[in-house]
Amino acid sequence: MDPTAGNVPGSAVPGPDHEEPGLETLQFREEIQRLMTVPPDNASSFTALLELPPTQAMELLHLSPESEPNPAPAAVSGKPPLLEPCAHPFNSSLTFPSNAALIERAAKFSIFGGGEQSPETGAVPSNPGVNLEKVKSEPAESDSNPNSSQETKNNQRSSAKRKEREKKVKVSMKKSKIEAKEDADKIPYVHVRARRGQATDSHSLAERARREKINARMKLLQELVPGCNKISGTALVLDEIINHVQSLQRQVEFLSMRLATVDPRIDSNLDHLLATESLSLMQSNFSNMTPPIMWPELPINGNRQQYQQQWHFDALHQPGWGREEDNHIFITPEASLISCNSSANSASLHTGHVKTEL
Amino acid sequence: MRTSTTTTSSGITLSTKSCRIKFARRFLRSLAEIKKQKRSSASSSEEEICKRSKRIKMAAYSSMARAVGPRMNWSRALLFKLRNRVSYPRLVKKKKRVTVRSNKVPRSKSSVHIDRGNKLRKLVPGGKSMDYICLLEETAHYITCLNTQVKVMQAIADNLSK
Repeated sequence: MDPTAGNVPGSAVPGPDHEEPGLETLQFREEIQRLMTVPPDNASSFTALLELPPTQAMELLHLSPESEPNPAPAAVSGKPPLLEPCAHPFNSSLTFPSNAALIERAAKFSIFGGGEQSPETGAVPSNPGVNLEKVKSEPAESDSNPNSSQETKNNQRSSAKRKEREKKVKVSMKKSKIEAKEDADKIPYVHVRARRGQATDSHSLAERARREKINARMKLLQELVPGCNKISGTALVLDEIINHVQSLQRQVEFLSMRLATVDPRIDSNLDHLLATESLSLMQSNFSNMTPPIMWPELPINGNRQQYQQQWHFDALHQPGWGREEDNHIFITPEASLISCNSSANSASLHTGHVKTEL
Repeated sequence: MRTSTTTTSSGITLSTKSCRIKFARRFLRSLAEIKKQKRSSASSSEEEICKRSKRIKMAAYSSMARAVGPRMNWSRALLFKLRNRVSYPRLVKKKKRVTVRSNKVPRSKSSVHIDRGNKLRKLVPGGKSMDYICLLEETAHYITCLNTQVKVMQAIADNLSK
């Protein structure tokens, strides 16, 4: 029986089928090499950040242990590898090598500045959920210690520079304040602006303006009310104003009572008073006008000269109509319209007096 | 001859001479009308004198308010009050309530100022509807007008009595 003729169910067929796993592994390695030599599209941004050619960047990463015996990336790039590859498995966390040039380049970008650790000592895990304890237990590399000391020195220098800048700013602020004070001394004080230590709120400014208005009105009232300039204090000034207004109103009441109790025989002269008053107002001689209130008694056979002298006497003794306490203008018979020296005027006065008597 | 002018803070200049002239003219006219009414009623009892004095006082205030014109609040309020009193005479007088205040209660400065302001509001006509600053301004104007009123009435009374 030929072994080739019959198919034994448990037997394996030798031949090219046995070589398929080897070919698959070779193909898989070739694909890995292609991936390593030609980086994917999403890796281009990372290589651009590091400013390195893609092959060298992939060398630095050393993603798989299978790429160790394969010298293809180094041959393609033409440069020897910078550092020895890390012996971590693929699923473990990866650490960047401590190269000074790369660290300086990486420090420029904000990708590495997010964590609390420094970029040279910080680990970048591929799977954050796997082997976190291993990452914690890994000791820091010895090469990173001098770099960290340099960074602390740089930080100290930068902090010193910041302090110097702050001091300069403070000095400039002080100078500006001194200049502002000098300007304020030169320029007169504006009431709207708040002084130092006072509130600059709009409500307080409005309240201050209101208080200034009240003070101005109070000064005006103090000038009007006699004997109020000596008093200090708004409450006392208000009391004086109230008393003054009340006294004036009482004076008006008293004068109205006095005018009501005037002798009835004098009331007939009010019409004449009104007429003379209107005449004086037309001539705008209100303050100089003395209307005849009490007509002098004339003797029937009297002389005109005697009447004139008697009228002058009465005019001298009668109080002037335009007399004022402020102006102190007292009317003399020469200034009055009624006193006159001509006989014609005296005759007209005599006839007028007769008419009024009739 | 100098004329005294008072300038209030709001810019209203009160010429006391012109105000005095206007007031004197109006007051003398109203006084003549009152005297005519007096002639008709020959009886001169105390009641008649009181009525006449009230009329004279009202005439003085109304003539003062008309002389000033409607530019000031107190004059407007006074004219309005007098018109209402003429059209609707009050028959029943209101009784004033006297409130006794104990001095034991401590009073602050603000309450003192409020009390003074309320007193002044009662004295100045139309003061209840004013704020404090406007009240002080109106009070100043009202005092000057009262001064001129008193002087004119004094002069008329002196001239009539002698």
